[in-house]
Parts: sequence; structure tokens; C-alpha cells
Amino acid sequence: MSDTLAPVQPAQTTRPAWRVRLSRLDHKGSPYAFVAPFFIFFGIFGAFPLIYTFWVSLHDWPLLGEHAFTGLENYQNLLQDAQFWNAAKNTLGIFVVSTVPQFALALWLAVTLNRKFRAQTLFRVGVIIPNVTSVAAVTLIFSMIFAKSFGLVNWVLGGFGVTAIDWAAHTWSSWLAISLMVDWRWTGYNALIFLAAMQAIPKELYEAAAIDGASRTRQFWSVTLPLLRPTLIFTTITSIIGGVQLFTEPLLFAPGAGAIQGGTTRQFQTLTMYLIENGFTRFEFGYAGAVAAMIFLLVLIISLINIWLVRRLVGSD
Amino acid sequence: MTAVVTEPETGQNSKKTLRRKVVESNTQLFRASPLNYLVLVITFFLSVFPLYWMLVMASRTNDEIVQMPPSFVPGSNLGTHVEALFDQADVLFAKSLMNSFIVAGTITVGVVIFSSLAGFAFAKLKFRGSNVLLAIVVLTMMVPVQLGTVPLYIMMDWFGIQGSLSTVILPYLFSGFGVFLVRQYAIQAIPDELIEAARVDGASTLRIFWSVVLPGLRPAAAILGLFTFMTYWNDFLWPFVALSPENPTVQVALSRLSSGYYTDQSLVMAGTLMATLPLLVVVVFFGRQLISGIMDGAVKA
Amino acid sequence: MSPTMRGTRRMLAVTAAAGLALTMAACGSDDGGDAGSDGQITLKVSTFGTFGYDELYKEYEAANPNIKIVASNEGDLGKYTTALTQRIAAGSGAGDVVAIEEGAIAQMVKAADRFVNFQDHGFEAGNWVDWKNKQATTPDGSSTIGLGTDIGGLAMCYRTDLFEKAGLPTDREEVSALWPTWDDFIKVGKDYVAKAGGEAKFVDSSTNSYNSILMQEAGIAPGYTYFDTEDNLVFDSNPAVKKAWDTANAILDADLSAGLKTFTPEWDAAFKTDDFAVLGCPAWMTGNIKNNAGDDFAGKWDIATIPGGTGSWGGSFMAVPTQSKQQEEAIKLAKFLTSPEGQMSAFGEAGALPSSPKNFDNPELKDFKNEYFSDAPIGEIFIDGVRDLKPVYLGEKNQAVRDAIENDLRSVEQGQRTADEAWQQAIASAKAAAGV
Repeated sequence: MSDTLAPVQPAQTTRPAWRVRLSRLDHKGSPYAFVAPFFIFFGIFGAFPLIYTFWVSLHDWPLLGEHAFTGLENYQNLLQDAQFWNAAKNTLGIFVVSTVPQFALALWLAVTLNRKFRAQTLFRVGVIIPNVTSVAAVTLIFSMIFAKSFGLVNWVLGGFGVTAIDWAAHTWSSWLAISLMVDWRWTGYNALIFLAAMQAIPKELYEAAAIDGASRTRQFWSVTLPLLRPTLIFTTITSIIGGVQLFTEPLLFAPGAGAIQGGTTRQFQTLTMYLIENGFTRFEFGYAGAVAAMIFLLVLIISLINIWLVRRLVGSD
Repeated sequence: MTAVVTEPETGQNSKKTLRRKVVESNTQLFRASPLNYLVLVITFFLSVFPLYWMLVMASRTNDEIVQMPPSFVPGSNLGTHVEALFDQADVLFAKSLMNSFIVAGTITVGVVIFSSLAGFAFAKLKFRGSNVLLAIVVLTMMVPVQLGTVPLYIMMDWFGIQGSLSTVILPYLFSGFGVFLVRQYAIQAIPDELIEAARVDGASTLRIFWSVVLPGLRPAAAILGLFTFMTYWNDFLWPFVALSPENPTVQVALSRLSSGYYTDQSLVMAGTLMATLPLLVVVVFFGRQLISGIMDGAVKA
Repeated sequence: MSPTMRGTRRMLAVTAAAGLALTMAACGSDDGGDAGSDGQITLKVSTFGTFGYDELYKEYEAANPNIKIVASNEGDLGKYTTALTQRIAAGSGAGDVVAIEEGAIAQMVKAADRFVNFQDHGFEAGNWVDWKNKQATTPDGSSTIGLGTDIGGLAMCYRTDLFEKAGLPTDREEVSALWPTWDDFIKVGKDYVAKAGGEAKFVDSSTNSYNSILMQEAGIAPGYTYFDTEDNLVFDSNPAVKKAWDTANAILDADLSAGLKTFTPEWDAAFKTDDFAVLGCPAWMTGNIKNNAGDDFAGKWDIATIPGGTGSWGGSFMAVPTQSKQQEEAIKLAKFLTSPEGQMSAFGEAGALPSSPKNFDNPELKDFKNEYFSDAPIGEIFIDGVRDLKPVYLGEKNQAVRDAIENDLRSVEQGQRTADEAWQQAIASAKAAAGV
């Protein structure tokens, strides 16, 4: 610190100067100290697997055999790989089918939960119960519900004279069933996050809006939504990340041999399933590494588009 | 609008009625309508039904599970199935429950503390490189975890801790999700003036964090804690690969319930139910805290 | 009431608990458990499904007081193989003795340097049928990494009650005589479906028949399936594959399949119905039928020979990874478990069909009758089929290709593709799965 060369202070004021310096150190240094634990753990346990995976993706790397450096060959092959693009299409399709209604529902639910009503705690705790159940259990239960011969849904539909649907056999039905599983699990969770953010919005704003004669709907659009912007960005990004990494639901939806292919015509194989298929069924670790890198890239691109969209839709500042 | 302009003498009057209206609507504003109740009841039913369905299946025999039409009331075999579950020496169910508590509990505490620290710093402190660092935090969330198992496994071997519970705790103590959640919440919920005021009073950053920021972050911390606990209670892939078979977590133990080419569905359901119960207890206790935390925030604002 | 105070106190309590947990976790990390100070040796044995080794472990520990066996058994084969492969690749964490299934052995043979070569440790080839040894041996014959446990001799399981209703014979000899070839089998199937009426089908799925036929045909000629012995993909040029594919499609054409996917809850559930009457039946499948169908169907099943000759599908090996620090002791244990006597013990405990020819004439096996399957002489039926099997080479990527082809076949079954479209697709799928 060169600025300590300042004129020598009289003895009685050394303590404050020392304090000032300490305070400056606190001001400059403590942000780094605050973020340090995260980055230390990330540096040890996050960065290595990441770099390793990228390194592997530049090789022909059978999990158990000899490795050979191939440069960007895996990536070139990937770009021409119909199965990869099919998985990308499915992932985005299921993401849209599941996320759009999920967000609308979650916002609606959060607004409702934000009202005054009886048994508040019961209902508020109730919405997170789906999240308590493990994905594996959810999928198991939902496969039972969507089973062709003894499933609940077909039983109910049968009551209306609809013939039993093989839910896993068609693209539309499998996407619908998988989206339902995802939404059942995550709508309440997002609603709760929205709710927490809504509770932090000062009530005076609503009162002011009410004085201006704004209806409840109008209040929602002009007060609630703009103030939820940070939270909306947060939930969109986490949903994108979760959506692109969707894995267990489609995997367990049609169990048995070859489940990793996501249906007989790969109609619901997601990117992460394709990653695992390459890594642990075909044991092509290098190629799987390239898929991982592409997933990463894809999430990044969609996230950026989304941040831009949310900014435009909900106003910017 | 036109009415106000053309009738200036009643303006005073109408403003009064408006104010009265506002005071009324102040209580009205957040009151639930019958439609709201309907929505809530349906949501509650949908949320709880699959869990109830799990109980039904866990308490019935394999034959009854696949019957048409399905039965909607629990059967009488739950006790038998639960007993069978704890009797299976291979499965180590009791030990796995304890292990899961240790793992999920430790990760939760670590994640909440580290995320609150970093989230606060990113939201409210200005420092060089913060944008880049924040971008890295968000980027860490975008890495597909599944492929990382092999390098992580190699790493645990270097540290000489493979097979132990530490292997499934250490890699999860940092959470980009957590930092991001706390940051986004803090931006909105903690007023800058509050921090400035504390600074003027000569409080150190740590002091500000502890006495000003942390109380305000409680709702976000509670949500984060709850979800972190549930995530790692339910985590399967990495524990399955990393832990030695005689030291499983509960989800790993559950996967042993099916034997070879045959799966006893009702036993699996009973296991899943028993693995879910502790979480339900956590939600009921922690959830109350969570809800009151959210309400706290509302009262303060 | 002060919520903040309460919250702080609770948070302190949670922190304390977590601190404790961390300490416990740290303490719990020393479970490496190799050689103890008292010369006690711990051997970890990893298996999946049902091996029937509990008695053998006890016996071995009693005979070798310095050995302690820690056995772990995983339910799901897919998960087991994935975890095992990762541990082998990472170089640590696999058991001292590990089970490897037939579908994964070719993959492990490719990495033979990561396993103990039993040829260097007094390998007694005569303890196993020749084709079983070949599966666990490198193509040049220099290294054998696995010792055979059980095999999956093929037969055809059928429902006697349904056959009777449809006016078909029920005696196992007569039933076997009905279908010497797969064409005969399809004729019988048509006959059955016509007489049974309603929604009833003949077989559970097309894939079960497909796999059985493929292994049979490949055994006759050329001795391999999707990959030749140099590991070139020969999917679309191997006549055995095409024959199996066409026969499976003929079964679908005749509308004989219930269209169930094997090893799924729906398939499990169908055993409690009359949806299908026969099932391609490797030896291990009998336990499966018994568990799925339950006591109500005891005595309603019987076992006949499979059309088109013999074959084997499934079965496992025991191997010792070189990463084991107790190799010598582990090798001894692996030999003990897979010895002819060990195999008989596993047969008694779990019904695993022995892979040692030394057991084939053992009266205990030969005269064994399975009560559930109308007292069918299980030993005799299955053993006759496997005694003279010719080895079938399964390539390194066999499992990946097989999964892909089964899916394409299933797409015909579900009506998403015609047989020709699916064949074209299968050629592409095979290439993708094999990475060529």
C-alpha cells in the first residue's frame, strides 16, 4: 500500500488511521473472502472434472481401452449425427411443452398463495410435497398411472369409451406424459420461489396502484411482474438448465432393456440420455465428452436468448 | 378521468370515497375468492395424490397392484412389507437412512452458508471481477453432471477417500444454483440503504452480513436449505458409483430391492415410502419455519 | 414470541449437528478394510441379481478362518455393469471378486490387462463347457479373465391350462413334437390364437424369440452375431441375423405377439393374465415366471424344447480385477465359487444352471424336478440343450447393438414402422451403436 506514505499522524490518531486502513481492507478484501469458499470448492471438485471431460472429448477414448488424440473429430461427427439432433429436438420439444404451462401455472398459483386464506401453512407446504418424492419414485408411480393395460389414466379414458393408449409408443403422448411428470414435480417449487419474491414486494405499491384504479389483473402486470424480474430470470435459467439436462423421467418412463434410447424410434430420448448412451452403453467416452460440451453450449445459448427475452418482456432497467 | 375534470366540486368528495375504498380494499386486496379456494384444493389434491397412491401400492400385494379397476384404499400389508424391508441384510436400509441424514444434512448446511456469503457479495458488494466471477457461478450450473462421475471418481482415489461418505459430500458443498438464488433474492429483498446505514455506523462487512443481511435472507436460505436437503436425499447416480456397497445412502439401498430379473413392486413401493417419510417430517417442521420465514419478510416490507 | 431468536437458536443447533456429521463422515472414511493387524483378510465380492452364494460364503469362511467375505449384491444388472465398468476404468473401488454378465464379458475381455489372467493361476479348462471358456478368453487365446458360473440353456415355457382350452396337447413331449422348427411354431401359434379367440396372443414379445433364434442360428453358422471374430460389424451381411429378424417378423405378421416389453412392470403384470401362452425360456427365466405369476399359477406352466435346435442366452462369470490388493486370496475364492461343487450349491440355492460338464451327469441335477412347472425335469431339459453348443462370439459392442436392434424390432411390433423400414433403420442403428 503506497498511500501509507501519507504524513505521519500524531500518536493519538494512529488508532483511527489503523481503523481506516482495516476498514478499507475490509471493503476491498471481504467480497473476495465471501465468495472464496464457493470458488475453492469449485476449483477442487468442479473444475477438474470439467477440464478432464473436455480433454477426453478431443480423443478416441473407449472407457476401458487405448486412447488416441483425434482433435475436433468427435465434434465434426457430432454435427452430422442424426441421433444427436433428434435428441436435441426432443429435449427442446419436451422443454417447451413442459415449461410454458408450468410457469403460467406457477405464477397463478403463487398469486393465489399470496392471498389471505384459511389453512395457509397447510396449502403452502402442500405445494412442495411433490418435490419431496424422489424422481425415481415419481416416475415409477407415473409409469403405473400411464401403464397401457393397468394404468389409471387408460382406465378413466376407458370409461369414456377411449381405447387404451400406449403412452410410450407415440411422440405426442410420451412428451405429454413426461411433461406432466416434470410439471407435477416442479410447479409447486417454482410457485414457492415466486411466492417468496412476491412477499418481498411492498404492499404500498399495490395500494398505490389500487388508488390509481388498477384492477387485480392490471396490478399483476404492472406491479408484480416487473418486480419479479430477478426471480423470473433465475427460475427461467434454472429451468432451462434442468430442462436440457432432463434424464431420469424419460429414462424410467419406458423401463427395460434399451431404455436409454428413449422409445422404439427414439421419440423421447433427451440429450443427456444420448450422452449416457455413448458413455456407458457404447463406452465411447470421447464422443460422450463432446456431447457434454455441446449440451453446455446449448444451455448457454438458450439462457442468453432467454435473459434477453425476459428483459424485453418484463421491462429493462 | 373526464368526470373528475368536469365536476371539480365533487372531486373532494370522490377522493374521500376512493380513500375509504382503498382502506377497504387493503384488506380486500389479498383476500382469497372462492375460485382461489377451489384452485388451492385441487392443487393440494394433485400434489398429495401420487404420494397417497404410493401408500396404497405399498400396502397391497403385487397381485392387487395391477388389478383393474384399481383399488383406491390402502390394503393391510404395509407392516409386512416394511418388516421385510428392514430384514433384508443385503439392503442395509437402516444404515442407509442414517447415512443419508449425514450426507444431506452436511451438504445443506455447507451450501446454505457458502451460498449466502457469496450471494450477498455478488448482490450488494462492489468488487473488481465480480461480473466475470458471477458468470462463472452461473456457468457451473450448466455442466451436465452425469459425465463427471469418472473424473470425480479418479480424484477421490487420489485423495484416498474413495468409498467413504466424504466422497458424496465434498463435491456438492458448492452450489452455483444456491449462490444465484441468494443473489437474485438479495437484490430485491435487501435495501441498499440498510447496508449503507450500517456502514456509516462503522460496522464491518462480516458484521453487516451477520446482523443485517442474514435475517433478511432467511426466506431464500430456508427454501435453499429445504431443496438442497431434498435433492441430496434423493440423489442416486453419484452415490451409487462412489460409495462402497456396505456403506450406502438410502436411494442406493432402494435400488437393491429388485433382485435380478424380478422386481417386487410392492416391496419397492414400501421402500420408497419409508425413504420419503423422513423427508415429509423435515418438510412439516422445516416447512413451517419456511412459511413463517416468508411471512416474516412480508411483515417487514 | 420472537421468531428471530427461535430461528437463530435452531440454526445454531443445525450447525452443531452438521459439524458432528462432518466429523463422523471423516471418521467413517477408513473402511478400506484390507489386511487387518491380526492377519485377517477381507475379500469383497460383488454380484447382481441372484447367484445363490450365501451357503458357499459361510462354508469358505469356516474352512479359512483368516478370510472374511463382505458380499454385496446389486438388484439391477444395468446399474451394476455401469458402476463396475466405471470402477474398473478408474482403477479402484471394484470388489476383489466381481461377477460379469455374458453381455458385458466381451467388453471386459477387451481390457484383459485389468483382470487377473487365470491361465497364470492353474486354470482347469475342463471345469467348464468349452464355449463358456471361449467367451471369457481373448481372441488369441492367451488370457482368460473369467470363470463361468451359470448358463442360460434355452427351452420353451408354456401354459398347460391355456393349451388345453385351445385344444392343443399339454404333455411336454407332445408339445415339443408340435414345433421342431420355427415355421411349425408359427403354425401352432396361429392355430392357438384362432381357437383361443378374443385378445389372446401366443408369445409375450417378438424380441424374446428373436434373441433365441439369433443365438441358435449363429451357433449353426457362422459362430458370431453382429460382429465377426475380428470385431467388424457384419450386421447386414450375416445370414444368421437376417434369418432371426425375418422369423421374428413372421411371428409379428401372424399377429402372435402380445407386444410386451420384457422386464417391465407391464410384462410382469401380464403373467397374471391369459394374454400369452408361451415364452422363450432360458434356464434363469423359470425363477422369473414363478415370482411374477405367483402361487395361483403353480402347476399351470410346463417346459418343452425350443424350436430350431438348442442354444444358450445369459449366464455369468467371476473375475478378479488386477486393482485388488488381495489377488491371491481372491483367485482362490473365485475358483471355489465356480468349481463344479460350488455350481451345484448355487443350483440348489438359486436354481442357477451349472456351466460345468462335470455336473451334467450328476443325478442331483439330472433328476431334479420343478414342482412349479408341473414337475418338469428341469435339469434334463436344459442340460440336453447346452452340452454340445458351439461357441458364439459376441463382439465388444454387442450389448449396444443388441439394444438398438431390439428397439427397431419393437417399432414394428408397435406399428410405427413396416418390417422393411425397420430393417433399413436397424442397419443404420447398428452402425451408430457400433460407432462406424
